[in-house]
Amino acid sequence: MQFLLPKLFSPAFALLFQEATGGHLATAWQKAQHPDLSKFLIIGALLFIIGVAGVLTRRNIIVIFMSIELILNAANLNFIAMSRYLQDTGSVNAVAGQIFAVFVIVVAAAEAAIGLGIVIALYRNKETIWVDEIDILKW
Amino acid sequence: MVLSGWEAVFFWVFSIAAIFAGLLTVMARNTIHSALFLISALVSVAALFILLHAEFIAGVQILVYVGGVMVLFLFVIMLVNVGSEERGSEEIFNRPRQVTTSVIFCALLVAGLVYAVNKGYEGLQGRDQGKIEAAAEQAQSRDRNLPRSATGTSGITNDSQRLGGVLYRFGSLPFEIASVLLLVAIIGSVMLARTLKQEAAVDDVDPDVLQKEATHDAELAEVQQEPIE
Repeated sequence: MQFLLPKLFSPAFALLFQEATGGHLATAWQKAQHPDLSKFLIIGALLFIIGVAGVLTRRNIIVIFMSIELILNAANLNFIAMSRYLQDTGSVNAVAGQIFAVFVIVVAAAEAAIGLGIVIALYRNKETIWVDEIDILKW
Repeated sequence: MVLSGWEAVFFWVFSIAAIFAGLLTVMARNTIHSALFLISALVSVAALFILLHAEFIAGVQILVYVGGVMVLFLFVIMLVNVGSEERGSEEIFNRPRQVTTSVIFCALLVAGLVYAVNKGYEGLQGRDQGKIEAAAEQAQSRDRNLPRSATGTSGITNDSQRLGGVLYRFGSLPFEIASVLLLVAIIGSVMLARTLKQEAAVDDVDPDVLQKEATHDAELAEVQQEPIE
């Protein structure tokens, strides 16, 4: 990326740009060239919230399950980013985060198998996959 | 852990791909499209794992999620009827009021989390500055001593080896418990997905329910008359 910028903007234009934005964008660009732990955590947070939004807004129970997989994956990304950070700071048990990620994947696989079994049983009895029509327990 | 050069380029490519694929997973009308977008999101996250030097987890992610769980999802989507959704005759989101509330909630959560991560990371960086610099020198000398690959262009890391060692040394009990969990999941999903006829064949249904169902299902009546001993 650092070799693309000089070609796109001539140095004089870059200087003008930096003056006009008060240096904020330039420092942001500097930070974007060197992504660190916080960038990974923010990507993880965004994926998590996309998953939460999917669970809250969709009516299709299978898409809700897929959103839950997205949430678990965002948690995995955080675990592994933190594990890498601990490796860099020379921590004692630095790969604990990766081991947690393995167990999260195992539990996600078990959850998917059971959940989809429930979806099949539900569809056989109620003939629907819309969560707002599955309300036998409501009254 | 500061990426630079091509690593930074790949980081942005894969993170933007993961976010957009995640958004499309939630917003796609066709459930099959949702599943395919989720696969691309999972592959992008696996690429981010490789950037974080977690090659083993990236491989497990591709094999278990993309190769196993998502194939299961696709089979189930094909078993249940989602035709009305594809034709557009059914609303795919909840009622507008619920959607508005949850989108506002999620926007607040995004703002709060991004602020908290940035603020917290500044403090963390301030605390660990010395340690990071000391560990970076050690890591460089360790990287130089890694065995070279067959082509001689790159070193072979021992990250996966270390992960395996720690997994069996400190995590062997949870590992065994996880295998029992998977066994329970297999048995549970087989039990849940049986039809009434299959349940009747192993004499696992309440006799009254079976009597009632058998009145309008000829096959069930047959099963009822000749139970398996």
